[in-house]
Amino acid sequence: MTVAERSIPQRSRSAELSALFTLFVLTVRQHTHGRRLLVIGFLYLLPCVLAVVLRTLNKSTAGESLEFSLVFWLLPHGLAPLTALLYAAGIVTDEVEEQTLTYLLMRSIPRWAIYFTKLLATVCVTTALVAAAVIGLYLAIYAGTPNFGTDVLPRAGRAVVVMALAQVGYCALFGFLGLFTKRSLIAGIAYIVAIEGILANMDFVGRSFTVVYYVRTLTLRWLELPHELQLRCQDAWGLPDLNPLPNSGRCVLILLGFGVVVSVLSSLRFARSEFHVKTPGGE
Amino acid sequence: MNPIITFDGVSKWYANVIGLNKLTLHIPAGVTGLLGPNGAGKSTLLQLATGQLQPSQGAVRVLGQSVWDNPVLNRAVGLCPEQDSFYEWMTGHDFVRTNARLSGLSRRDAVAAADKAMARVGMTENMNRAIRGYSKGMRQRTKLAQAFVHEPQVLFLDEPLTGTDPVARRDMIEVIRGMAADGCSVLVSSHVLHEIQSLTQQIVLLHRGRLVAEGHVRDIRNLIDKHPHRIVLVCDRYRDLAAKLSTCDDVDGIQFLACDSGLMVETRQPDTFYARLPALARTDGLALREVYSDDDNLEAVFKYLVSK
Repeated sequence: MTVAERSIPQRSRSAELSALFTLFVLTVRQHTHGRRLLVIGFLYLLPCVLAVVLRTLNKSTAGESLEFSLVFWLLPHGLAPLTALLYAAGIVTDEVEEQTLTYLLMRSIPRWAIYFTKLLATVCVTTALVAAAVIGLYLAIYAGTPNFGTDVLPRAGRAVVVMALAQVGYCALFGFLGLFTKRSLIAGIAYIVAIEGILANMDFVGRSFTVVYYVRTLTLRWLELPHELQLRCQDAWGLPDLNPLPNSGRCVLILLGFGVVVSVLSSLRFARSEFHVKTPGGE
Repeated sequence: MNPIITFDGVSKWYANVIGLNKLTLHIPAGVTGLLGPNGAGKSTLLQLATGQLQPSQGAVRVLGQSVWDNPVLNRAVGLCPEQDSFYEWMTGHDFVRTNARLSGLSRRDAVAAADKAMARVGMTENMNRAIRGYSKGMRQRTKLAQAFVHEPQVLFLDEPLTGTDPVARRDMIEVIRGMAADGCSVLVSSHVLHEIQSLTQQIVLLHRGRLVAEGHVRDIRNLIDKHPHRIVLVCDRYRDLAAKLSTCDDVDGIQFLACDSGLMVETRQPDTFYARLPALARTDGLALREVYSDDDNLEAVFKYLVSK
């Protein structure tokens, strides 16, 4: 060991954790600045407004119809994966395009941990957004109804947990995608439509490789839906019999396991990758 | 003395483009200037030295350690990148403090370090304004502050003075000199030679990804003795002087200057030529009024060496 090596200051474990926490907070702040949050907020507001308008114009509009369309269809098939895509696919490419990745790579944080921490922050942000959307939708659909406090709110809470698990899978997946292609948004939308949309609705074993399959299973098992709504969901999703479906614990493990495995793979990929930040001199 | 930065047979290519070509370089402690025109490979060299890129061939070490994905080494290294990029929504102080925190400093230490760094670059007054409203000079100062906020042992500065006004330039040169005086080794790149001259006499010249020369300016000047020196002579009877010089073996070329009474002489034997000048000035009433070498500044050295 040379003199120079020995003279590099050692930092404690708490200093390393402090650096990671700072990166986590920095990523959250990045996600909550800029137009992307406004766009997502606007997208989430639309179904809420729609629900309020429909309830106002037509008093006989069944809450369960709105819940099925907006909470169990639009959100898990459209808004939630889109949110994950918009945030997770850009956790590295945004830093490269904005030429700020250099500042992160120069700090005393292992490369894999940079990616993993940013992904974790992204999961938290998107989960918070989706949770707000779920609560907002339930409020817009059921606020003021007699069983709002007793039935609807607990159901909304469980729906938040299901959507949070979905975000783990989606964010891991789209983060992975963002490391492999510069056209991650297009690829992600294609994935959402083809795999999570079309494939998940086809009654064959292939749909068990989709995130939405486990989201649907958990929805049917956990949410204690009103009987009619339960049947409607089973019918629409092609899951008439719950017995062959995986149990809740398995669904949770699969979603979390998938998220962790893909995140670790992505972190390792990030750790081995070079990122060419454009310099004014063009070197 | 152990070199602080070593490049051993390092090549870096991007597809068919060569960024650096078989570079072997040992940079000692102190301030070293990295010179070369745009596209010479300066930024590639700095990105390799700071572990942002991996060499396609060869090995890069800083403070005796491999640089790729080495967070321990990063504690001892700072970089002021060339690109003018920030988290624009932050204030300058927030930006520098965040970078200090990312380097593992505690909350309290990071605030103190950011205060100190911003003061050192003369940004105390403006440090609580959003970066997006900063002038170019303020941005460069802030970028420099984040590079040394964690008190590194080695500082890499990629074109730190680009786009700054004379006052900011002077201040930043003082800061860099101060860092060096505090014991920090600095590798500073520029394509503007007088910037480097004002910082150090220890230079490395790059051109098209190759090492052209390295060492003290004085040593590098010796290298150019293989190339024509340009010496300007001012004399009322400059045509007679030209006729006289044209008979000398050590004169390779003579050029009449646009200004009055001036000649530029090219010679590959400057010592012989200079030795003859006193006699020449006395004979035939030629009366040289002024003699100076066009090579007396680093710009000329650079031009000679990169045009080899």
